[in-house]
This record gives sequence, C-alpha cells and structure tokens, in this order.
Amino acid sequence: MTCNMKNNNNREVMPNLALHSLFSNKNIFKLLGIIAICVFFLLPIFRLIMLSFTSDGTISYGNYTTILQDASTWKVVSNTLIVVAGSTVISLVIGISLAWLVAYTDIRAKRLMQIFIILPFVIPSYITTLAWTQFLGANGLYVKLASLLPFEVEAINLYSLAGIIFVLGFSHYPLVYLLTVSVFRKIPRELELASRASGAKRWATFRKVNMPLALPGIVSGGFLAFLANLDNFGIPAFLGIPAQINVLSTYIYQQVVGFGPSAFARAATFSVILGIVALLGTAIQWFFLRKSKRLETTMEDKQPRYYLGNKKLPVEIFIWLFFLVTGVVPLISMGMTSLVTAYGVDFSLKTMSFENYQFILTTSSKAKEALGNSVMLAGVTMIIGIILGTSIAYLRVRKPNFLSKFTEVSISLPYALPGTVMALAMIFAWMEPIPGWNPDIYGSIIILFIAYITRFLILQVRGSITALMQVDLSIEEAAHVSGAKGWSKWRKILVPLLTPGVLSGAFLVFLSALTELTVSSLLWSSNSETIGVVIFGFEQAGYTTYSTAFSSLIVMLIILGFTILYLAQSYWNRKVGKRT
Amino acid sequence: MTTIIENLVKRFDQTTALKKINVTIEDGEFIAILGPSGCGKTTLLRLLAGFDSPSSGNISIGDQRVSDNKMTLPPEKRNIGMVFQSFALWPHLNVRKHIEFPLLHHAYVPKDTSVNISKRVDEVMEIIELTELANRMPSELSGGQKQRVALGRAIAPKPELLLMDEPLSNLDAELRMEMRKEIQELHRLTNATIVYVTHDQGEALAMADRIVVMNKGEIEQIGTPQEIYSRPNTPFVANFVGKANLIDGMWEADQFTPASNPNLTWPDLGVSVPLKKKGIYPIRPEQLTLMEDDRGGIHGVITSVQYQGKEIHYTVQANGQAWLVHTDLMQKFQLGQQVTIQLKVSVREDNRNVVYL
Repeated sequence: MTCNMKNNNNREVMPNLALHSLFSNKNIFKLLGIIAICVFFLLPIFRLIMLSFTSDGTISYGNYTTILQDASTWKVVSNTLIVVAGSTVISLVIGISLAWLVAYTDIRAKRLMQIFIILPFVIPSYITTLAWTQFLGANGLYVKLASLLPFEVEAINLYSLAGIIFVLGFSHYPLVYLLTVSVFRKIPRELELASRASGAKRWATFRKVNMPLALPGIVSGGFLAFLANLDNFGIPAFLGIPAQINVLSTYIYQQVVGFGPSAFARAATFSVILGIVALLGTAIQWFFLRKSKRLETTMEDKQPRYYLGNKKLPVEIFIWLFFLVTGVVPLISMGMTSLVTAYGVDFSLKTMSFENYQFILTTSSKAKEALGNSVMLAGVTMIIGIILGTSIAYLRVRKPNFLSKFTEVSISLPYALPGTVMALAMIFAWMEPIPGWNPDIYGSIIILFIAYITRFLILQVRGSITALMQVDLSIEEAAHVSGAKGWSKWRKILVPLLTPGVLSGAFLVFLSALTELTVSSLLWSSNSETIGVVIFGFEQAGYTTYSTAFSSLIVMLIILGFTILYLAQSYWNRKVGKRT
Repeated sequence: MTTIIENLVKRFDQTTALKKINVTIEDGEFIAILGPSGCGKTTLLRLLAGFDSPSSGNISIGDQRVSDNKMTLPPEKRNIGMVFQSFALWPHLNVRKHIEFPLLHHAYVPKDTSVNISKRVDEVMEIIELTELANRMPSELSGGQKQRVALGRAIAPKPELLLMDEPLSNLDAELRMEMRKEIQELHRLTNATIVYVTHDQGEALAMADRIVVMNKGEIEQIGTPQEIYSRPNTPFVANFVGKANLIDGMWEADQFTPASNPNLTWPDLGVSVPLKKKGIYPIRPEQLTLMEDDRGGIHGVITSVQYQGKEIHYTVQANGQAWLVHTDLMQKFQLGQQVTIQLKVSVREDNRNVVYL
C-alpha cells in the first residue's frame, strides 16, 4: 500500500495491521529484505552444494564416487556416528536426571545449581577440553588424588574415542536439561494427581503421564545436543587430532588447511555428507514427535512434587560432588597449569608464577590482537544483532505470515549447519561474490563479520521473540489509543519492557561470537585471528602453559560478564517490580 | 457529535466477520454491543479503534471520517480512549504515569487540559479514587484497582469515544457487580460516549442506554434494555437475552395457538411483529408455571431440578422440546414427575394492558 500523507492532511493509508508505523514503504523493504536473506543466508549454502557436484569445472558425481570409495571416509563416518550417538546418550542421561531432580524434588539451592549446570554451556568447549586434559593428564590433579588412594587407579586417556565422547557428553547436557526442566515444570501437577487417584503408582505415573508429555522437550533437547555433538570442532580437534582420530568436522578442517588441488571440492563433498547426517537427526526427531501433543500450559510450577525425605542429603551431596568434579576441578587444574613456569613442572605455591599471563598480556602481540579482534567482532555482531534481530522478531511475532516464517527459517540455517560447513559455505560465497571479482573479503576480517552476523543472528531473533511474546498485543494497542505511535511507543513502552529479554539474547550472541572457534579456524587470516584460533594454535604448537593461561583469562572474563549481566537484570527487576 | 457506522463489512481470509453493519451512536450515549463469542462484536470494536481496517464501509467519529474505502486512520490519530479486557497496564510505569501518558501523547487533548497536565492527572486520580496509590506499580495493585487505572487512562484525555472491550470479564463475580456501579458513575461524571462490548446480558441490561445485539456478524436488534428484553425481534435475541422458550404455532390477531396443542390459546404478552410473522411465541422461564398433572395445558416430565435459593429452575421435556421453567420456592416437584406447564398470566379487565410477571 502507498502513503498519501502529504495531500490528505495528516491522514495516512493504513495497511491491514495498523501497528508497525516503523515499517512503512513496505514493498521496497520487503523486496530488499528478501534479496538480503537470499544473498546472505541461502546462496552460500546453494554454492557449497553446487561445488560438491563440480569436478574439473563440470557438473558430476565424481567427488562423491571418489570419496565414497575411499576406506578412510567410512572410518571417519563411523567414528562420527559412534561419537555423536555415545555423547548424545550421555547428555540425555545427565540432562534428564538433573532436570527431574531440580523440577520435581525438594532438594535445596536450586538456583545455585542452575548456575553450575549452565557452566559447561557458557565456557567454550575447547577450554573445557583443555581443562579436562589438565585434570586427567600426567601431572594433573587426578593422578595426585588417585595416588592417595590405597588401591591402584588406572590413568584415563582422554585422547581417544571414549575421551571425545565423554567430554562432548558432559559439555552438552545443559541443552537437554534446559528444555526438559521447563517442560517438566509445565506439566500440571493435577495430571499426576489424576493418575495417582486412578491407581497408578509413582513410577507408572512418571512413565505414562510425565514422560509422554515431556517428550517434546526431551527430544528437542536431545536433538540440540545431537547437533552440538555433530557440529563440535574444538573437542575432537583438541583430543582427536593428536591421536589421529578423525570425525567429519575435523576431517573437513584438515582437508581445507591441507590445501591441494581438490581440497575445496572434497571439503564441500564431506560437508554435504555431514549435512545428511544432521538431516538423519531431524528425521529421528520427527519420528519421536510425530504423535506428541504440545502442552497448553505456560505456567511453570516450581513447587516440589516429590519429597526425598532422608535421601535428600545424600542426593544433594552427590549432585554437588558431580558439579565439583565435572565443573570446578578441571578449571582449577587448568588454572594450576597456567601458573607453572614450564609444562611438566609440578604446581606448588612456591613455584607459582604469573609469567605466562605476562607473556599473554604484554609480550605476545598475537594474544592481544586476538582479544581485540574477538571483542570487536562480538561487539559489532551483538549491536547489529540487537537492531536487526529485534526488528525481525517484531515482524515474526506481530505479523506471522509466510514471509516472516521464511525469514526465520532462512536465518536459522547458518546456525543449524555444522560450523565447518557454514565456514566453507562462507568461503565459497565471498571469495568471489561475483565470479571473476575478488574484493578480498576472504582473507580479511570482513568475512568473519559476515559469518558471525549470519551465524548468530538467529540467537538474537529467538531471544527477542521470547521477550516480545511476554508483551501482550494489548499493551501496545493501549499505547496507540493513548496517542503514542512509532518512535514514542518504542521509546516509552517497548524498549523498557523488552530490554531485559533482548539483553540476555544479546549476551548469548556476544559470548558465542567472542569464544567462537569452529568458523574462525577456517576463516582466519594473519591479521584476523580470534581468541579461539590463538588458543588452538598455542595448544597445537605445544605451548600448553600459554593456552591454559589465555583460557583461564577468558573464563574469568566470562564470569565477570555474567556477574555484570546478573546485577543489571536484578537492578532492572527492582526498578520495574514484578511483572503483572 | 455522533459516531456513525455505515455499511461496515469486514472479511478475513475465508470468513466474513461483519456483514453490512449500520449503527448511529448519539453523543453521550452508553451503547452495549452484546453477543456470543465469535459474533463479530470485538471485530467491530477493533474497527472503531483503528486496529484493523474495514473491507468496505465508513466510520465517522464526531466530524472526523476515520475509515472509508480509501483510508483508515490509525488509532493514535482517532479521538478515542479504550479499556482492554486484559487491562493492558504497562508493567514498568506507575499509576500516575499511566494517567499522564495519554495526556502527553493523545492528539485531541483539549487545550485547557493540555496546558496543565498535572492538574488533569490529579483530577482523574480523584475520579478513580487512587490518589493515595499514585506511585504503585501495576504488580502491586488488586484486580479492581488495575481496572480503575485502565479506566482512568482511557478517560484522561477526554476522548470523543470511549471503547470498552469486556472490561469486567477478568474480575471475580462480586467485584464485577461493584465495577458496574463505578462504570455507570464514570459515565454520569464524564458524560462520555461509551461503546461497551460484552457477552454478559446482565451487564448490558444493567448499564446501557441502548443495546446492539449481534449474531454471526449481523445486528439482530438495536433497542433499549427494556425493548431487547421484553420485545425481542428475533428468536436469537429472545433466546440469548431472555433465555426464552421458543414455541412454534399459529398467530391469529392477538391469539396464539401452539402447534403441538391446537386446543390451547395464549394471549399476546407483548410479542414483536417479526416474531409473530414467523409463528413463534417466545416465553421466558419466569412467565411459566408448573401444575400437578391433571389440569389443562402442556403435559411433560421433569428432567432436571436446580435449586437456586430464591427460585427453582426446572427443565421439562414436553412436546419434543425442553422447556425452561423458573418457579418460586412454593412449588416443589420431583425429578421424573409428570407436570402441566401453564402460562403465568393475569389479564386486566380492559384486555389491552397485559401485565406479565
């Protein structure tokens, strides 16, 4: 629809939904939006697939026949399947158990537990891996503690398939936990009581009422963990590459960095295979969810439903030991390594030194540059994300039509794709955006900006959608009736109400971009190294004391960031009071 | 300053929510739009507010044309106030800020009011009796107080037209009765033109000057509460507002003969012409009485008994239909008992003035 504001004394033509005065001149915006989405989100993936079907400049299945006839391909695929299946099972078992305990039992200090459960989720997996290797390594705390025991305890070798499965599973259980705990809490307790009143025992009630109703949450969480395990690069790179154990994500990486004449085509082909494995997961998810119904309740019931009685204390001790051993002790081990003068030297308070930190912060220009690069990348990605992501979320929530659905799905693709695949797609799309024209985007930091914004935008969109869903349409309509439109509505009503929700989305974007490794490991160039790339580089070159020092620094920064976010949110909550 | 709705049509993808609606709302009038859910009443209100644009037809508020085939003014450019079903209070603003907000933004705040906003805020706070709670946040208010803030926010800029979308349906029964009085009082004090959407015929009958009864996107009847209740024009109005039993039969002059009992004749107790033409006699439950099963009348069996304190509600199965009969406590019948239904009527001598109880 067009505007005729000028000639019609201050009256304007309103489209069907008279609410988005921010988005006028709609057709032009629509067209520009569709083009931008295609260029930034869809075209790269299309080009990647095309490349996998190209050999010697012609379209053929050549890459696939060569690769599928190679025995090492099947070794890599079977490794990938074993690793992903094993680690997803671990994530599911830990995630569901913790979710059940937190959602339904009367254990204490649940809020504090929540923080420790989120810990593996906010600390990048390559840092977690580093921490575990320090904990279980030859000079690590584990060996020292084990030597105190009266019997022999075998050393654990993390540089193995089992090691990769273990660290992956422990890194990704929070995904299962988060989705499951909320759906557990949303199951109305009356449904359980009705089952008990009908004569079902506790276990039967859990099996026949809670489990089927919680299935959508559990399966979605399991699917996210599956994708995260498949996509993860840091853990198999830190643990697998030294032991020559390859999974698809590290194999693609090695194809690309190994160069050679057909490197990109081979990597593209492996990416498509990886994509097919991911689709397999989607099929499994569909199979489990095809008959399940979504819960209509939105209220989370946080009162305990099962009283553990005299088992409460042992259960609590067990949970805290779990957090201590899997969350805190590895990080402490890493911190200890970062404080010794040379790798292999035993840690003691006397020999403790900060020279590794000094090297990172003053001597080495690499680490400083990487810190600057990552902070800038994360900051710009976050700010663009807040503006773009919230606008898209607004359209998605207030104007749910085909176009906004299409936008959301397109934007979520680069995040759903494994990072290595996404990075490759970026290379093919931006090396020569128009065939024959190379504007040096690939090879500079610009490609990382493009890659991060396209990859992490969906996180902001999701965060902003959640925030918007809590603002009832009538809240906005009330502003309109009171005469506030466009900018004054946003400034006085929407911005104050959306800020906390939008900020948690923005923080997630910032954190993800700051500590990202997978994408940047393929896209970095000499002046655009990121934190992840530098830590990975230190570790590969054997400078474990530097990599642990840098990692410890990052962990401290993350904890600092969280503290600031927490304080900001509690300040806001106090100012606004509880929501109605 | 009248509000005129002409030939208003609203189509959504497949359905037609409003079919040629025509209503004229007089200045200062309290109009209730009454109908079951899905009848189009909320759609009509949203078109008046400007949240949607009509498929065709015109709306004028005062001397301002707000909607026609060419354009639709957005809500912020209309001289309206609105009270929402969910209250729609802004959780981050306190009571005073809520009242102040429209005074700062509304395009039609009268000159004398806009020069001294804080005076008007005080005035409104006085009207809604929340002066002491000016600094409270919405989360610190009770349901009734929230409702009053929503009302105050709507009336503060002295709008031409005040729209209310089922404002009492989120309150508990007792508070609802209380708020009816307050809204009436508000109407009296402000002399505002009010369009009040509700599905509760009690609210509409109690408060409105005129009621617009809607069903399936069409207006069934417009009239005063008395007209709507006692002289319904359509079977729907008779049933929805008065809960009347609809009896098929023959009208001859002022005499009605039920189809099922040709030997009976009933006098005209004020049945409207359209219903007479359709051969329908609407009888509200309180216009009927029950007798032991040995009199002349309609014979039936009691299928449900509901004791209500001041009366008893019976359902009687007779002539293939369920009759609702409300009787006083003196008459007691058992479930399954055979009874006779009779018209409770006393006819005065002059035969013109029929008194119905």
